[in-house]
Amino acid sequence: MTSSSSSSSGSPGAPLDDLDLALLDRVREMYQAADPMPEDLPGRICFLLALRDLEVEVARLAAGQDLLVPAARGAEQSRTITFDSDSMSIMIRIDANGDGTVRVDGWLAPARRAGIELKTSAAAEALSASGDEQGRFAFARVPRGTAQLMVRPEAQGRAVVTPTLIL
Amino acid sequence: MRADQQDHGKAPARAGRQDGGRAPAQAGRQDRGERIAGLLEAARAGSDEALGQIVAEHSPLLWHVARAAGLSCGDAEDVLQTVWLRLLAHLDDIRTSAALTGWLVVTARREAWRVRAAGRRHVPAEGEALDTLPDQGAGPQEQVLIDDQRRMLWVAIAQLPARCQELLRIVAFVPRPDYSVVAAELGMPVGSVGPTRGRCLAKLRVLLGLDPEGSPI
Repeated sequence: MTSSSSSSSGSPGAPLDDLDLALLDRVREMYQAADPMPEDLPGRICFLLALRDLEVEVARLAAGQDLLVPAARGAEQSRTITFDSDSMSIMIRIDANGDGTVRVDGWLAPARRAGIELKTSAAAEALSASGDEQGRFAFARVPRGTAQLMVRPEAQGRAVVTPTLIL
Repeated sequence: MRADQQDHGKAPARAGRQDGGRAPAQAGRQDRGERIAGLLEAARAGSDEALGQIVAEHSPLLWHVARAAGLSCGDAEDVLQTVWLRLLAHLDDIRTSAALTGWLVVTARREAWRVRAAGRRHVPAEGEALDTLPDQGAGPQEQVLIDDQRRMLWVAIAQLPARCQELLRIVAFVPRPDYSVVAAELGMPVGSVGPTRGRCLAKLRVLLGLDPEGSPI
């Protein structure tokens, strides 16, 4: 502690003195170091906010899954992720294509027709697809990077957006 | 530069003691207030870039509000997304930096407590998580806590009542000019929060040996 305070304080009700302020700086620095916010979180939030859709429902990742670990680089692994919201579940399977892109297959439950958008960090425009009556949809080639899926049911129901995932 | 190391706290620690009102730190405060108000106005007009700056600047505070409430990292991320989405609906009502910070802190805290009460996932208590740190191998968190000063501070804070731990962690990330509004929003109007905050800080000072009890420093 480098700060020294000329006036005694720290008594209840006293205004914050220099030592208090320096101590709060240390508290902030310590928590920043010990428990930093994920660096990419603001970017992912902006991605979501850019949709500017107030009615949107944010799906949650079903328990026990990790969004942030991409399939091993270059490997032809596939992974399956399930999101839950009040109105529907969204399951997607991500398979690596040979050319560095990925294929995304999805299913909605309960099944319904829906417009599907996949917004990726690689392109300004979202990719679009249609979900059929069985609730299936597919994107054949999706660039790797952060991505977010939005489902707009054709019939009644709110749009649902997933948390951002890394493809 | 890490997003969570931005901006607030850049004002010199002594700024609060200046009486002249024309000190550079005072001007800095005004600039910040004007800058945030400008960003809010631009965001209302539809600027994603302005909104992005607001998000980048205030998300670390909200992260620590959510984590101070005992949420897992995943739940904390959910809370931040929910809070920022909700802000879109309230942009018309929020015109100043202090109003923004106050609204964000209160909304994040309420949402964090709601998520915690729902108990969707087991979250170890703060102390629990930290006690286990040294046994978890040389992860980045252990590395940073090995630093003696931080470790002493961590250990001292862990001895404070939970209420003080949460309060100090939140206050430490609030931009100072916005402090009184945030204190009021947290249900601790300045008249009574002063003592609450003062007690937390006073206890911490004693624990750190900075402020031997009963003797002026």
